[in-house]
Amino acid sequence: MKLVEAVTEDVTIVEAYGRLDSATAKEFGDRLTSLVQGGCRALVVDLQNIAYISSAGFRALLIANRATVESQGKLALCGVIGEVKRLFDIGNFTEEFLICPTQAEGIGKLRQ
Amino acid sequence: MATGPPVPSQAGSPVESSSDEIRIANSLSEIARVADLVDSFGARHKFPNEVIVALNVSLDEILNNIISYAYEDAGRHDIVVRLALRGGSVEAVVEDDGRAFDPLAVAPPDLETTPRAVGGVGLHFVRKLTDELTYARRDGINRLRLTKRLP
Repeated sequence: MKLVEAVTEDVTIVEAYGRLDSATAKEFGDRLTSLVQGGCRALVVDLQNIAYISSAGFRALLIANRATVESQGKLALCGVIGEVKRLFDIGNFTEEFLICPTQAEGIGKLRQ
Repeated sequence: MATGPPVPSQAGSPVESSSDEIRIANSLSEIARVADLVDSFGARHKFPNEVIVALNVSLDEILNNIISYAYEDAGRHDIVVRLALRGGSVEAVVEDDGRAFDPLAVAPPDLETTPRAVGGVGLHFVRKLTDELTYARRDGINRLRLTKRLP
């Protein structure tokens, strides 16, 4: 798991690379939570380069999503494609998140 | 003229091995070693990505359950994972010496409740991503076998 972060004005983009599973979910979730606690109110998480997400990874995403909402912020996901998309569907997680096709669309949604 | 050491021949396996085994400790970080093994086993046998993902997610759920809930002491325990080709399927066997736990006996989760409960979906993934699951308990060892058909 590797996280690459970029800030464009008011939006923070986090690109995740590798496996989002029980070995990496804590590091991933802790980083998103600390961004929210540090004042980030608009977060785009790009999952395009994630090989797969297990339930531990979905749990971390749900918790980060709730933490953002509780801080009056917004979180958008993008790059939900291929096997990752299939896992969202199997777990019935698609409706739980704001999902956008691309980073640019995610940023646009969060600025509305 | 010798060109190098002879390639060691493995008794009973004249061709490339079609099974792999790994022994890990009961720590979540160890799961990365299992995923590495699945990736290399899958690459060697040219599995489609969906099969590699199905195996990795399923093994992550099972190993996470074992490591998080199976042990009544804080000591080190070994978990064995074996991968094997069986005809048109790949089989993964997980053995642990934790408390008896039959994942097949767990009721399916409620996926409709809003807001979603942040748990309970792991075994749902295993059921959906594998074609066959068998559980046995013998001599204090849980043995779970997952079978995934190759397309």
